[in-house]
Amino acid sequence: MEIAEQTSQGKPVWIEPDLDFIRALRKRGGESFKQCFQCGTCSATCGLSPDTEAFPRKEMAWAAWGMKERLVTNPDIWLCHQCNDCSLRCPRGARPGDVLAAVRQMSVAHYSVPRFLGRWVSQPKFIPVLLGIPALLLGLAILAREPMEAVLGISHYTSDIVYSYSPWFPHWLLNSFFGFFSLIAFLAMSAGVARYWRILKTTGIGNGAGPPAKALGPAVVSALKSIFGHDRFTQCTTATARSFSHVFVFFGFIALTVVTLWVITGRYNPLIQTDFVYPFGFWSPWKILANLGGTAALFGCVWMVWERLERREKAGISTYFDFAFVLTLGLVVFTGFVTEGMHYLRLVPHRHVAYFIHLVFVFALLIYLPYSKFAHIFYRTTAMVFAEYSGRKMGDPVLNRGERE
Amino acid sequence: MKANKIVVAVMVLIILSPIAFSAASRLLTESPKPFLERPDAKYENCIRDTEYMRFHHMDYLKEVREEYVRYGIRDQEGLNSCKECHASRERFCNRCHNTVDLNVDCFGCHYYPETAPATSN
Repeated sequence: MEIAEQTSQGKPVWIEPDLDFIRALRKRGGESFKQCFQCGTCSATCGLSPDTEAFPRKEMAWAAWGMKERLVTNPDIWLCHQCNDCSLRCPRGARPGDVLAAVRQMSVAHYSVPRFLGRWVSQPKFIPVLLGIPALLLGLAILAREPMEAVLGISHYTSDIVYSYSPWFPHWLLNSFFGFFSLIAFLAMSAGVARYWRILKTTGIGNGAGPPAKALGPAVVSALKSIFGHDRFTQCTTATARSFSHVFVFFGFIALTVVTLWVITGRYNPLIQTDFVYPFGFWSPWKILANLGGTAALFGCVWMVWERLERREKAGISTYFDFAFVLTLGLVVFTGFVTEGMHYLRLVPHRHVAYFIHLVFVFALLIYLPYSKFAHIFYRTTAMVFAEYSGRKMGDPVLNRGERE
Repeated sequence: MKANKIVVAVMVLIILSPIAFSAASRLLTESPKPFLERPDAKYENCIRDTEYMRFHHMDYLKEVREEYVRYGIRDQEGLNSCKECHASRERFCNRCHNTVDLNVDCFGCHYYPETAPATSN
């Protein structure tokens, strides 16, 4: 980098603070970072920060100077799980944990393709548009069902089946509609991740001049191990509830994803009893798993919201970005359960309305994945893989050493 | 860290167990086939094709009921006609309904023998 070159040559450096970035960061919850006087308590107390080029101290300096490029090309912002040990111990109340959360939010918007969606998803005034798009597309799909069936030559009996959803939204339409838009979201996400990875490889911390510490394959495996085990996340001491509630949401949604994939492939899957794919009985192992997963995910979401509302000091500042994501997740599961309940109670047309609302939220969750906080799945994984790849190790917290021994 | 590994192992086991259940039940039990009986040669076919009857028989029965009760159309094949060929509730209706864990309330009012001697197939 230019600045690094100049400093290494001992030349004076002229830094132009990016005032727009500083203002934007302030708006996203990093209000207090100008209080920082660079004592380094945050980096010393952090249980996740590496011994060299420790975070979040350097990020605090960069934030104060509005050095956006350094912040968003930095893997360390995603190695932080916002335990808030730093915010708790900061003598100036600069709340480094919240600053890094705000930087992560800016980073998601920075890498989003197309850019404008990244902007829309982070502002409450766009909620009607963001929910209107899925509702409109789903409505169009329902209206276009008959003409499409005529063109594609799909025939099924369209009379009023007693207790099923398929006259409105047959499985072929449901699977192709959601499959198509998930693919688009996935491609947009891949574009963002590819940009981030390229930048990490050229300018990232820990990259250095040497060869990678690990090959890419083993780096991915150990990063995934750490993600599934919540190894780093459970190191948190101040905001322990964050990691526990995350475990519920994480495994709950994995269970729901597995059931969904199983059901989508059901007709072609030799392991399913092919004559009776749908409906699953209430005591079918798949139904049990789906209900368990949904319960776990909903419980985790409610816990997260409760933590954010009731324990603000420990949970950190909550922005629209945080609530939009956790509430969408919760509403996906909640509307799913409402639909299920109304289905069992045989309430018509209530269950159809509930199902439609459920699909709107599922669609919103999927299609806005690259722009919402949901994108943390991919960006954090990328950064953690890069940390393994470049050999950036988790350090031993200096301030906690005494307590542990 | 050991506790984390145990949690992951338990979760993965729970999440993957339905696959094992499905595979096992596929290997151990057969999925029920409709038990077809044709006691009288005059019944060549069912009133609708197999595919329709498999997925929409309940729909058909509801339509017939509505037409019978509301509009007085009485010369249609209803639930009573089913047992001309499918004599036994146990052999015919329950096989599939049990598999998909479905409780129907048809037989609270309508007479349909639980078991009946098997006729020619």
